[in-house]
Amino acid sequence: MEQVVGSPKGWIDGDESAKEMLARVLTARPFLLLPPLHRVPLRVGNVVELVGPSPSSKTHVLIQAAVSCVLPKEWNGVHYGGSDHLVVFLDLDCRFDILRFSEMLKHRIIGESIGSMKIDSEKMDFDLWNNDKKRRPAYDEELYVLCMRRFLYARCYDSFEFLATLKTLHYRIQKEEEAHGTSVHMLMIDSIGAFHWIDRASTFMPVGGNNRKSHSLQTVSETVVQEIRKLLVLHPMLVIATKATILGDIYAMNDAKWNLRKPDTSNCRSGRITSQQLPYREYMPSIWQTFVTHRILLRASDDHLPVSNDQNHSLYFSEWLLPSLSFIDKFIVKEVFCFGTCRLASSLFHEVRRDLWCSLASHFLIFPIMPVSYYSVKITMTKGQQNFKILAISRGCSDGFLQAFNKSALLEHETEIE
Amino acid sequence: MAPLKALEQEYPIINSSFQNFCASRGIFSVEDLLLHDLYVLVAFAEQESDAERLKQGITQVLSIIDGQHQPWLNGMELLEDAHRNKHVLSSGCEGIDFLLQGGLRKGQLTELVGASSSGKTQLCLLAASNVAKEHMGSVVYLDTGNSFSPQRITHFICRHSDPAIDQAKHRILQKVMNSILCHSVFDIFTMFDVLNLLELNLRSQMQRGDCQVQLLIIDSVSSLITPILGGSGSQGRALMVSAGFLLKKLAHEHNLAVLVTNHTVGGEGGICKPALGESWKSIPHVRLLLSRDRGGSGVYSVSVLKHPSMAPGKASRFMIDD
Repeated sequence: MEQVVGSPKGWIDGDESAKEMLARVLTARPFLLLPPLHRVPLRVGNVVELVGPSPSSKTHVLIQAAVSCVLPKEWNGVHYGGSDHLVVFLDLDCRFDILRFSEMLKHRIIGESIGSMKIDSEKMDFDLWNNDKKRRPAYDEELYVLCMRRFLYARCYDSFEFLATLKTLHYRIQKEEEAHGTSVHMLMIDSIGAFHWIDRASTFMPVGGNNRKSHSLQTVSETVVQEIRKLLVLHPMLVIATKATILGDIYAMNDAKWNLRKPDTSNCRSGRITSQQLPYREYMPSIWQTFVTHRILLRASDDHLPVSNDQNHSLYFSEWLLPSLSFIDKFIVKEVFCFGTCRLASSLFHEVRRDLWCSLASHFLIFPIMPVSYYSVKITMTKGQQNFKILAISRGCSDGFLQAFNKSALLEHETEIE
Repeated sequence: MAPLKALEQEYPIINSSFQNFCASRGIFSVEDLLLHDLYVLVAFAEQESDAERLKQGITQVLSIIDGQHQPWLNGMELLEDAHRNKHVLSSGCEGIDFLLQGGLRKGQLTELVGASSSGKTQLCLLAASNVAKEHMGSVVYLDTGNSFSPQRITHFICRHSDPAIDQAKHRILQKVMNSILCHSVFDIFTMFDVLNLLELNLRSQMQRGDCQVQLLIIDSVSSLITPILGGSGSQGRALMVSAGFLLKKLAHEHNLAVLVTNHTVGGEGGICKPALGESWKSIPHVRLLLSRDRGGSGVYSVSVLKHPSMAPGKASRFMIDD
């Protein structure tokens, strides 16, 4: 086709082909995140705030998003659907538990590699027992280590440490990006209001000149926002910050009254919150508030889901406040358990009869998260023994735990071993 | 943090001309520098006659700042630290150990919440005696209400041992008593003194490599904090949050399990809730609610209010022997 610059035809022809456009759009493609972050497409440069009382699964949502970010899109032919990037986590609350992160990561890796199979403890036990290599969840240690290394963590005990961390973060990110060959895609702050009271109380008159900036809530927030803005220019990232409602008795009080009046409907408590009345009291300075582009409110429910026979599920509500969406999401946080340990146990128990092992495995499943993966279990058993005992568990386990473990009814199996 | 003047000896690049340049922009300390935009500062430095030297000075200060935050760790390093240092200490109470999957975790702040006579102090004493006896560690016990009872500790230690072997019992008892360090603390400022001193001791012990303290107990932390709260001022809350961060820092850096107790207050609608309000909620890692069953059966209930890896609402029961 003839193309003449400046002719009307040339103008109609457009600037880029569909292929070029697709490539461009895909680089700035929104994150694919798990609920409750899935309602609105989030892109790098956005600042998301998760507001909620403590506990309301704020950190859980962060960890979930971090796991999605560090996982690769595909690995050894298995689709994980991650974004293959680094995550920076600034822990201002100093409560982060790496074991939880590790378990959730393992859970995702195993969950994906067994494909569409629903995670069903009974079935899993059976599969593990059968030693069926194909159906056995392939837990990839190499992938696990790769993902764990992509998670960068620093804690801060006060605002100055926070500022010092932010001021030098650019150099750190540069170093890590070179080492890993991929860029940082998320900056997480848990939680942004952690030093609120300390900063608020430390306002003093500056000594030594009128132009000296005093250390106050205002100046700290200004500097924090300024530093993050500068970082975002150099390293396009999605910022996710949690904020505990430290002043927020308003909602709790309304809630208690509400529950008292209508105890029967407490399951789906509270209607929509009107935009005039915020469900919590805002305490961050306006400079931070205007910096935030998306805001989600999280709340816990008093009720545990009736669907489960154990208490390992909790129900939470999430609601988008910015942009304001007209519905409330419910989501469940399950306690994850570790298949890696079941495998460990299965190798230890290969001589034990199946029903015995299954009962132990089901016991392991009741024990959530850390202890199982954390302890390596040493079990001695002799022929004809009436019941077995876990004799030694490696570091990190107390005698009291052992006693409790051995005493529990599930383990007291009167099974004859061949 | 250091005033720039104090840094001159160690770093000659921070000389008087650099200090004068900073002073003209209202910067006297590293702290002030943190609140300033360093890019803007570099832009101003370029207008000066000795721009190169000033910019070198700014780079130097930036590397000082880099040494002042906590170290960066990746997931594997964190996990290694957790496996190597963050063990679990048995509380001596099976119900609690079972609920918490082993007991009190080092590096974490565990809070026991409950009304009067719900077993808080008993659990503290039990945990202290158990850690001193079974884990060979020493225990720092901050007692705010004169409720520390050596008799009770003796009872807990001797309940399982054979009374026939009197001498061995006596030796164990003496060892346990020696490793529980009790401080009477009646206000939050004394608590800060004790904790700061403890931090200093632990740091010097760590350099010598013989860190022994494993458990820090404050019974009760709420009776120290409640008097300074109230009113609209933020000073009280600032002290409270600082105390929380100090405890968490001690717990993490020196691998201590920290156990504190908190009382309950009547909330909206007569429902009891933990004292110290919303701001304290985000301080502890683990919160357990204790209550005593009715009817004088001596059975206590405990339920999880908050846990980093457990759903709230899990419950267990236990007995404390008389």
